Amino acid sequence: MKRIQITPYALLTPAIVVLLAALAYPVGWQFWTSLTKYGLKQQFGQPPEFVGAENYAAVFTNPEIWGVIGRSVAFCLVNAVVTVLIGMGLALLMNAAAKAARLALQVAMLLAWAMPVVAAMTVWLWLFNWHHGVINWLLTQAGVDMTGHNWLEDPLSFYFVATVIVVWMSVPFVAFSIFAGLTQVAPEILEAAEVDGATGWQRFRTIIIPMIRPVLMIVLLLQVIWDLRVFTQIQMLQDAGADYTSTNLLGTFIYRTGVGAGDFGMAAAMSVFVLVLTMLLSAPYVRSLMKEEN
Amino acid sequence: MAAKAKDKMRPGKAAASAAAVVLTLIWVFPVYWMLSSSLLPNTVLTATTPTFFPAGGSLNNFAAVLSSGTFFAALGTSLAVTLIAVFFCLLFAFCAALAISRYHFKGRTSFVLAVLFIQMLPAEGLFIAQYKLLSSAGLLNNVLGLSVLYVAAVIPFTVWMLRGFVAGVPADLEEAAMVDGCSRTGAFFRITFPLLAPGLVASGVYAFLQAWNEFTIALVIMQSEASRTLPLWLRTFIQASATRETDWGQVMAASTLVAVPVIIFFLLVQGRMTSGLVAGAVKG
Amino acid sequence: MKRTIAMAALLAVGALTLSACGGPAATTPAADPSAAEPAGQNITLWLAGGDTPDALREYLKTEYNKATGGTLTIEEQSWGDLVAKLTTSLPDAANTPDVVEVGNTQSPTFTNVGAFADISDMYAELGGDKLLQSFVEVGKVDGKNYTLPYYFGSRYMFYRKDVWKAAGVEVPTTLDEFNKAVVTIAEKNPNNIKDFSGFFIGGQDWRNGISWVFANGGDLAKYENGQWTSTLSDPNTIKGLQQLQDIQKAASNAPSTAKDESPWLYINDSDAVTNDDGTVTETSFNAATIMAPGWAHWSIGDLVKNDEGTEVRQWNSDKFGVFVLPGNDGKPAPVFAGGSNIGISAASQKQEGARELLKIIFSAEYQQLLGQNGLGPANSDYTSALGDDEFAKALTESASNSKLTPAAPGWATVEGSMKLEEFFSKVSDGGDIAALAAEYDAIITPMLNGS
Repeated sequence: MKRIQITPYALLTPAIVVLLAALAYPVGWQFWTSLTKYGLKQQFGQPPEFVGAENYAAVFTNPEIWGVIGRSVAFCLVNAVVTVLIGMGLALLMNAAAKAARLALQVAMLLAWAMPVVAAMTVWLWLFNWHHGVINWLLTQAGVDMTGHNWLEDPLSFYFVATVIVVWMSVPFVAFSIFAGLTQVAPEILEAAEVDGATGWQRFRTIIIPMIRPVLMIVLLLQVIWDLRVFTQIQMLQDAGADYTSTNLLGTFIYRTGVGAGDFGMAAAMSVFVLVLTMLLSAPYVRSLMKEEN
Repeated sequence: MAAKAKDKMRPGKAAASAAAVVLTLIWVFPVYWMLSSSLLPNTVLTATTPTFFPAGGSLNNFAAVLSSGTFFAALGTSLAVTLIAVFFCLLFAFCAALAISRYHFKGRTSFVLAVLFIQMLPAEGLFIAQYKLLSSAGLLNNVLGLSVLYVAAVIPFTVWMLRGFVAGVPADLEEAAMVDGCSRTGAFFRITFPLLAPGLVASGVYAFLQAWNEFTIALVIMQSEASRTLPLWLRTFIQASATRETDWGQVMAASTLVAVPVIIFFLLVQGRMTSGLVAGAVKG
Repeated sequence: MKRTIAMAALLAVGALTLSACGGPAATTPAADPSAAEPAGQNITLWLAGGDTPDALREYLKTEYNKATGGTLTIEEQSWGDLVAKLTTSLPDAANTPDVVEVGNTQSPTFTNVGAFADISDMYAELGGDKLLQSFVEVGKVDGKNYTLPYYFGSRYMFYRKDVWKAAGVEVPTTLDEFNKAVVTIAEKNPNNIKDFSGFFIGGQDWRNGISWVFANGGDLAKYENGQWTSTLSDPNTIKGLQQLQDIQKAASNAPSTAKDESPWLYINDSDAVTNDDGTVTETSFNAATIMAPGWAHWSIGDLVKNDEGTEVRQWNSDKFGVFVLPGNDGKPAPVFAGGSNIGISAASQKQEGARELLKIIFSAEYQQLLGQNGLGPANSDYTSALGDDEFAKALTESASNSKLTPAAPGWATVEGSMKLEEFFSKVSDGGDIAALAAEYDAIITPMLNGS
C-alpha cells in the first residue's frame, strides 16, 4: 500500500499559501536589508548599498545590544516562570474552591483577558502613576509613605511594574489551560492515593504533575516565545516616563533603531539575530518536545 | 451535587475559596477601575485622592465618545477583520492540523518546526516590508489585506493547538459510522466534527483576541481614518492632541466599549471554551 | 472524505487570493481616476494631532472645493505615530498624502531625504520674508524651500500668584531672579505641601530645559565645515545646564523621568482634604510655577460647573498669572518654539491641487483664523489676530526671541533615539555635567549628519 499521499499536502496548502503570501516577502526583505546600509534615504528611493556582514558585526560588538539581549532573556524567563507558576496555582485553586468562588475567579480571569491591551496598559499606568496613582495612595494609607514615588524611575522597579502587568495579562490563558488539564485528572485516582496515605504534596508531585506535564510544557514554551517579544507594554511604560537605554528590551530596541532612528539595515540585522538566538535557546526544549511527539 | 455537600465542611475547601475570592478581587480590580473611571469627569480622575465608587457618576463620557460616530465605523472594520481572520485561520489551521496529526509524510516535521519558528520572528522589524507588500498588492487601508496578515500571524499557534484535538479523535470512530451506513462526509460531520468543536472554539477565542487587540501592524497598514480598527480608534483618545488635555474619563469609556464585544463573544462561547481547553491541553 | 476537505480547503484559498486581487480598486481611496487632471483634483491633507480646530478644517475643505472643484480629505494622524506613518507612506506614490503637516523639528530629516516637493517658486507668493524665518530655515535644503511654517506656539510661565506672594517673591525681570525666586518658594513652601515644587520641570523635559541653555548663549549643535557637531560640552551650554541642575535640585520635585506632559495638573487646586486639626491641604496642588505652551491656559483654573453640569476649568486671574521667562539681557529668554511645518509630498501625483491648498493655507483669511484660535500664524502680518489678552501678549513676546532645535538632517533621529531625554534626566539627577556632556556629544554627533 505504499503510494505517495497527496491528501496531507493538499491539506497543508492553504496554510502554507497564506504564510508564504504574508511572510515570504517581508522576511526575505528583512534578510536582504540586514546585509545593506538602509536608512531613511534608501526608504525614499536611493539604492541601498550592500555592506555584507557589517550590520551583524555591529550587532556583535555593541555592548548596548548585549545588555538588551541579556535583559530580554532574563525578563522573558522570569515572566514565563512566574506566569506559569501563578497560573498553575490559580488552576489548582479553581479545582479546589467551592463552585461560587470558582465561578467568580473564572469570570475575573475572562474579564482581564477580554480587556484590550491598550486599555489595560492605560489603567495600569494610571494605577502606578507617581502623582495620582492608586497604588501609592493605598500604600501611604497603609502606613508606608509613598507619596510622589515614581515606580518607573529605577530600572529594577520598572521591570517589576512591567512584570506585574505582563503576568496579570498572561495568567488567564495559562490558568484556563492548566485548569482544563486538571479536570481530566480522575478524582478516583486521587482518592485512592489519599486512602493509601499520600500527602497532598505527594499527590500533586506524583499524580497531578505527570498528568498535566504536556500542558505545562507547551504553555511554558509559548510564554517564553511571547514574553521574549513583549513590545506594546514596554513601549507604553517607557513613554510614561522611564530611562530608555536601561529599560529597552528587544522589541522596543528594534523598533527605536528602525522606525525611531531610521536605521532599517541595523534593525533588520537585529531581528534576524534575535530569530536565530531564539531558535538556539529553544532548541533543546523543542527537541524533547518533538521526541514526545513522534 | 447533594452527594458532594460534605465537601463544604472541609477546611481546605473553605481556605481555597477564600483565596480564590481574594485573587478574584486582584484580577478584577483594573477592570473595575476602568468601568468606574468611565463614569467620572476628568477633574475627579486626576486628583491625588482616588475615588473608589463612582457615586454621582454619569454616562457623559460614553455620550461624548459615541457622539462623533467614528466608533461604529471602527467597530465595523474590527468586526470584519476579526471575523474574516478567525474564519480562515480556523479553516486553514484545521486542515493543516488534520494533515500533521493523521498522516505521516515527508516534510511533516519540517512543517511543524517551521510553524513554531515563525512565532519567533520579531514583528517590529517587519512593518516596512509588510507595508510595501500590501501597497504593491493595492491592499492598503483594506480589510482583506489586514486580515491576510492576521491569519498568517495567528495560524502557527492555532495549528499547534488544533493538532492535539484532531489527534484525540480516533479515526476508527469515523470508520465505524461509515460501516453503519453514513457517507464519508456524513460521518465526518456527525461524528468527528462535534468532537472537535471545543477545540475549534478554544482556538477561535485565541484568534479572536489576537486579531481584535492587534495594534502595531494595523497602525502602519490602516493609515486612513476611514479604515481604522478599534485599537487605533482607542488610541486617538489617548493621544488626543498637544493642545488639548487627554480626557481620561473618555479614554476609559472608549476602552470599555472596545472590551464589550469581546465579553459578548466570551459569553456566546463560554460553555464550550473550558471544555475546549481541556481536550486540547491534555492531548497537546 | 479527506479528499473532500482538501478540495474545499483549496477552493477557500483560491477564493481568498482571488478576492485579494480584486479588492483594491473599490476600496483604496488613492486609486483616483481624476489624478491626471490639473483641476478638480481630490487631494488628502494630513494634520498632526487635534490642534487645528474643526472650523478651520471645514474652511479648508470649502475653500479648496471652491478653488478647484475637487474634494479635500483631511486625515488626522497622532503625533506619536507620525514618523512611522510618514516613513512608510511618503515614498509610496500610490498612497502618499498630498499635503502633510510635520513637527518643525522633524522637518529637516524628511526634507533632506527628498520627501517634499520644491516649492521655492511659490515662496514669495505664500508670504516670503514675512513668514517665521526660524521655521522657514528648518524646511530649507541648499537654499531651496521644501516646507514652510504652519503655526507656532512658544512656551511661557504659568504661576500661582497667591503662592508667589506668600513666599514674598516678585515676578522676575531677569533669568537670575527667576532662578532664585523658585528656589525661595520651594524653601518657604508657604502652603506646607509635601514635596512642593517652586518650579515644576520634569527631568526628561529637555524641550523646556533647553531654554536655560539658549539663554546662556549655548546651543545643542553647530554646523561647521559642512558637518554638524553636538555642542553639549560648549562652556555656555554647560553654564545653562548647571543652572538647570541647580533648579532641579533646589526648586523642583518632579521625577527625573517626567516629560513635559500635562504639567498643569500640579498648579491647579484639584481637591482639598480637611485634616483632623481643621486645616485644609490641597492634595493635587504641587507646584507654584510651570512652563508650558500657551494653550495650557485652557486646562488651568478653578473648577466650575458648565451649563451641561460637567466640571470644567475656568481661568482665575486673582490666583493664576503668566509671564515670559526673562533673559539676563533685558530681552525674553530664547525658548523653544513649538509648532509645525507644512509641505507637499514629492511623490504626490496631484502637485497642482496640493499647491492650490497651500495658497489657501497661506491666505490672509486662514492666517487670521489660526490667530483667532490661539495658534501663532506663520505670517507675521497676522499675529495681531491672536488678540491682546495676557496669553496672546505672552505668546507673541516669548516667540519674539524663540529658537528652534538644530536644522540637522539627522535631527529626527536624535529625537527618535530618546538620547536627549536621557541626557537631561541624568543631569537632573545631579550627574557630573561635563562628563555627561562629553559622553552624549559622542553619541549624538554621528546621528546629526544622517546616513
